[in-house]
Amino acid sequence: MPSPAILAYWEGVLLLAGMVGVVAWKLAGGDYALDELFEGPVREADGTYTTQTSAGRVQIFWVTIIVAGSYLLRVINDSHQFPDVSDGMLALLAGSHALYLGGKAQGMLLGRFRDILGRTS
Amino acid sequence: MRRIDFWAGLVGAIALAFYVAVGLSGDTHTKITTAVEYMGLIVLFLFGFLVLIAIATGRIDISGLLEEKGDGAVGKASMSRFQLLVFTFVIAICLFLIVVNSEEHFPDIPVNVLLLLGISATTYGVSKGIQASAKSDSITQSTTSSTTTESTTSLPKEP
Repeated sequence: MPSPAILAYWEGVLLLAGMVGVVAWKLAGGDYALDELFEGPVREADGTYTTQTSAGRVQIFWVTIIVAGSYLLRVINDSHQFPDVSDGMLALLAGSHALYLGGKAQGMLLGRFRDILGRTS
Repeated sequence: MRRIDFWAGLVGAIALAFYVAVGLSGDTHTKITTAVEYMGLIVLFLFGFLVLIAIATGRIDISGLLEEKGDGAVGKASMSRFQLLVFTFVIAICLFLIVVNSEEHFPDIPVNVLLLLGISATTYGVSKGIQASAKSDSITQSTTSSTTTESTTSLPKEP
C-alpha cells in the first residue's frame, strides 16, 4: 500500500485536475455561458438597459490572462516557494480592475456620456 | 445501489483495518497514527470525488458559475466572475505545486499574492454592488414613473 504522502499527492492531483478538467470541459462544451463576455450593460436615457462592447472588459481580460499566466509559468519554472508579485504588476492589476469597475459603474448607473452631458446642459 | 455502496465501504474498512493490524510495523501509537492518516485521506478523497462526479453529471448545477444575475438586458457572462475563477485556479495550482515540492514545512504565502487575490475578490464584490445598486435604482425609477402616471391620470379635469 502506498505511503500517506504518496496517497495525498495523487489525491491532490486527481481532485485538482478533475475540477479544472470539469470546468474546462463545460466551458468548451458551452454549458457555461461565455457569450457577451466583452459586452457590458449600458443605461439608456429612458432607464432601460442595452449592451455594448466594453473596452474595460477587453483590457481586464487580457491583463488577467497575462498576470495569471506569467505567475503560473514562474511557479512551474521554480516550484519551491511562492514567487513574489512585483509592486508594478500589482499596480497594473489594480489599475485595470479600477478601470473596469469605473466603466461598469458609469455604464450601469449614469449611462452614456452623451446622456450625462445632455442631462447637465 | 445503496447496498453496493454499503458493502463496498464495509469491505474497504475491514481490509484497511486488517492491513493496519497486520501489515504495518511499529508500536500501537504508530499504527493508530497511520490508520488515522489513511482514514482522513480516504474520507477527504471520497468527499471531493463525489462532489466532482455530481458536478460532471449535472446533479450539482453550476451552469450559472460565470453568469451575471439580473434582468435579461444585463450581459450574460460576468467578467468579474471569470477573472476570479482564473485567479483562484492559478493560485490553487501554484499552492499545490509548491506544497508538493517543498519538503520541510508549509510554504509562506507572500503578502502581494494575498493582495492579488484580494483585488480579484474585491472587484467581484464591488461589481455585485454596482449591479444591485443599478437594479434598485431602476426599480425606484419605474415605481416613481408609474406613481406619476397614476397621479396624472387621476387629476380632476379643469372646467
